[in-house]
Amino acid sequence: MQINYARREISCKMVFYGPGMSGKTTNLEVIHQKVPDENKGEMTSIATEGDRTLFFDFLPLDLGKVRGMTTKFQLYTVPGQIYYASTRKLVLQGADGVIFVADSGAGKIEDNIESLKDLTNNLAEYGIEITEVPLVIQWNKRDLPNALPVAELEKKINTVGASTIEAVAATGEGVMATLKLAASLVLDRLNTPEESATAAPAAPKKEEEAPAPKKEVFVAKVGADAISRTFFLQYCQLQYRLASKEAEVEDFKKFKKEEYLKFLDSLINYSLLLQDAKKRAIKPPMDKISVQIEGFKKKFGTPQELADYLAKRRLSLDALKNEATKNEIINIMIQEVLPNINEMMKITDKEISDFYNANKAKFNNKSLDEIKPNLANLIKGAKKRKALEEFYGKLRGQAEIEIFEDKL
Amino acid sequence: MKDNKLRLKRLVYYADDLQKIDKLMEEFLKLSNAKCIFLIDKEGHMISNKGLVQQINGDTLSALVAGSFAATKEMARLLGESEFSVMFHQGSRDHIHISIIGDRAISATIFDEKTTVGMINLYSKELSVKLEKIFDIAIRRVNQEQQVEADYSESVKDKLNDLFKE
Repeated sequence: MQINYARREISCKMVFYGPGMSGKTTNLEVIHQKVPDENKGEMTSIATEGDRTLFFDFLPLDLGKVRGMTTKFQLYTVPGQIYYASTRKLVLQGADGVIFVADSGAGKIEDNIESLKDLTNNLAEYGIEITEVPLVIQWNKRDLPNALPVAELEKKINTVGASTIEAVAATGEGVMATLKLAASLVLDRLNTPEESATAAPAAPKKEEEAPAPKKEVFVAKVGADAISRTFFLQYCQLQYRLASKEAEVEDFKKFKKEEYLKFLDSLINYSLLLQDAKKRAIKPPMDKISVQIEGFKKKFGTPQELADYLAKRRLSLDALKNEATKNEIINIMIQEVLPNINEMMKITDKEISDFYNANKAKFNNKSLDEIKPNLANLIKGAKKRKALEEFYGKLRGQAEIEIFEDKL
Repeated sequence: MKDNKLRLKRLVYYADDLQKIDKLMEEFLKLSNAKCIFLIDKEGHMISNKGLVQQINGDTLSALVAGSFAATKEMARLLGESEFSVMFHQGSRDHIHISIIGDRAISATIFDEKTTVGMINLYSKELSVKLEKIFDIAIRRVNQEQQVEADYSESVKDKLNDLFKE
């Protein structure tokens, strides 16, 4: 049903349903014939040559103005033949009322039952129970010599308790009465208010509009991908929060331009790495990441402690998961592009002593033996970073990268 | 609340929204050089129209457009698509371009040799985005100040007796 206050129109959809050859199209033809010209439009029929309805018949009716509002009824028929099931369902969409045209013929009981079941199922697919929809069953073809008694039809077919009416559509008898009954059932629905007025929230003020979608601003383009400003700022905040040694972090940390550029540089690297990983069909090992996250959670005694920790640092488990994914991807890619990484990570004593001698002043005169394990890790980290830098350099050489500094 | 589902299906268009919609459709006609445009809900009821619509039966066109859209949706389903967003029928003089708007409405544009299907396609895409926004707001409104008058349907029922005579 459409209520259009601008056009001052109420438009209802009524569907004639029923088994093949029960007289649905005949009903429509009679209505077309009997309704005054000024109240009806053209009747359209999408039929096969053998005058079976193929898609639907359509007849628009205009009941004219009542207190400035025009009421319209759009009448549709569905094809009755069993094999047009999907078409029937389509026509039924948005029906405000259904007229079920049943064949009173003695041999047609099964067809009627089958079709009513079909109607029930199709309505159910739109989330509507058959007892919810205004429904009139028309016992058509009452003039047949083998027509079953109405009492029997009621008992065998009308299991849904619908209003019923007798008709002989071929002669026009009962057709308008059926339409009138169905139309008034549909109109009754108009009186039920849209929503219960007390329970519903207050109507939005007129000037209240949905926020216009913000135009996406991009800070960089990396090959086919673009990095949006929103995403970039989130990334910066996350990196800051993860690296922060403070027990509490600021809500939104502002950075200097050089710092932003550094973050952007690392984000571009990561984007390139992801693109390359995709090409190599490398996927993050989600099971491993889950284990990491579970391990992290176990460090806290209670869920509340975990929540407090995350809240103070403005972190979320999702953010941690993303970070863990990033690290895992980087690790996998290192193995992938640097097959000799394990060799590289074997640090000799000579390397350590060379490093110690070169940077002696920084170590506060601590002896080599004292800081040897730490030095080994430092050197490993430096090597890994260098190898990664080289790899990123290679990727950058192959990709088109654009940075929009003014958008930072 | 046994009638809830049916009531949810009822779509109400207010004059304020329609004013905005009509303005957008007029702009669209100017830009695209099309003859006219019909805005139809998926159940086959016309929402609005603009342009040279006098010779076209809007109610029937709306029913057929919604029907044929629904049928192509089945076609799309067979191909594993959820729906086809654009349909185009070429005639010898007039053509029709059908495009979906969100999940409630369809636009049908009728045009001739004064423009091209490419132009129609381009501007109707823009129009769709704008209309979808208006519909989204309209649908989210819950409690309406404007209601159909309480005894309106009783008055219409009186009319049924005159019009639906045996």
